[in-house]
Amino acid sequence: MSISVLLANLPYLFQGAVVTLWLAFIVVTAGTLLGAIVGTIASGGGRILRAIVTAYVFIFRGIPVLVVMFLGFYTFPALGIRLSAYAAVTISMIVYVGAFVTEAVRGAIAAVPAGQVAAAKSLGMRRLTMLREVVLPQAARLAIAPILNISLMAIKQTSYASVVGAWELSFAAREIVERTLAAFQIFLGVMMIYFLICYPISLLANFCERKLSFDH
Amino acid sequence: MPIPAGAPIVVSVNGLVKSFGPHRVLNGVSFDVRRGEVVVVLGPSGSGKSTMLRCVNFLETFEGGTITVDGAPVGYRSDGQGRRRMLDEKMVAENRERVGMVFQSFNLFSHRTVLQNVMMGPVSVQHRDKSEVRKQALELLEKVGMAEKADQYPARLSGGQQQRVAIARALAMRPAVMLFDEATSALDPELVGEVLRVMRELATEGMTMVVVTHEMSFAREVADRVIFMDGGAIVEQGVPHEIMANPQTERFRSFLGTDRPDRGARIA
Repeated sequence: MSISVLLANLPYLFQGAVVTLWLAFIVVTAGTLLGAIVGTIASGGGRILRAIVTAYVFIFRGIPVLVVMFLGFYTFPALGIRLSAYAAVTISMIVYVGAFVTEAVRGAIAAVPAGQVAAAKSLGMRRLTMLREVVLPQAARLAIAPILNISLMAIKQTSYASVVGAWELSFAAREIVERTLAAFQIFLGVMMIYFLICYPISLLANFCERKLSFDH
Repeated sequence: MPIPAGAPIVVSVNGLVKSFGPHRVLNGVSFDVRRGEVVVVLGPSGSGKSTMLRCVNFLETFEGGTITVDGAPVGYRSDGQGRRRMLDEKMVAENRERVGMVFQSFNLFSHRTVLQNVMMGPVSVQHRDKSEVRKQALELLEKVGMAEKADQYPARLSGGQQQRVAIARALAMRPAVMLFDEATSALDPELVGEVLRVMRELATEGMTMVVVTHEMSFAREVADRVIFMDGGAIVEQGVPHEIMANPQTERFRSFLGTDRPDRGARIA
């Protein structure tokens, strides 16, 4: 069993990794942004708004990302919108990730102690000021760990994009395996590449958490 | 120092009624607080005294009665037809600016330093000049003996220190009245004194104060008037050396009887 087959195909895998990185970056950034906005609005909004957001969260948490991608891939053309496989996958995943982040943000905001809110109110703060000065800075720290988990999950889920024909790292790997039949070596390499993408993000999240802790 | 009967009324509570679900916790509470007056509210746990205090800056809603601070209605106004309508968020917030509140659990903003805690209200709510606010905040911290901790985070401070910062934070808003909601009840016994000392000093300077407490000696020595509440109503009120020496009702007598003379009844 020679490792040379992996080395020979490494440049091709790296091309796939670059696409995976881009896809992951866009999905995680936009999904987190979407979830942060929706989660914040929902935690302050009225009953109807909260019900809509709850429905959004529960629906997307209840279906596999693979199904969401197929839905995205076939729904847009049905509506007369022509999208590339990449665009369909990206949009589907943003909405999917957004649902998880929404719930994480809503939970983090709810976990800010009631006393902090009472103190902010007693200083005469109105809702937006309170959100900006007290609630969001404290909720941000609580939300980092769950958002990290969601992000790592999303990065790995980009590998499903290949099912609708979006070429990325996993797709590239399967192509090479079909040609070389060296499944073990190639997927060993793929495994390491995914790890090298995910590990620095864990470190970054740890750093952010330390940076935002209040007892320095 | 007696408060002249002609001093303007700062807080006026009239027939205050409040329920939590089916349980009525305030049953027609009425009293006025005049400028410079120190009113101490005593009563057993569950007597409604903290809830009453929280109604004054509308941290609690209430079903009946009216409250005014500096003449402005708190929480509700009556429309033309005599129905009560909740005030909009802006009015509620503006009312709260006039009322300083000190909580049992301090509630300092944990993500901000001591100095930032004191500056936050004046800067973000009153939009006052930052350097002027900073100067005032440092003076207030000096006054409560916390100036050297200005750049610390609350988690690094003792309960007594946190509470003194919380007092400075409330004072920075230049409130018309200060409310103390069992400000020393969560403190270790050896830390109670430093907080009471600050409160005493404020009283001597003529700050209008409503103090819910279990500290009998504070009531006896600092209060201009003591109100005893039980079962959601005011049972007795008067000058402390008169009513505490000579309680008129059995309930107040037995409440005072359970008090240890040194420290006051403390809730566990």
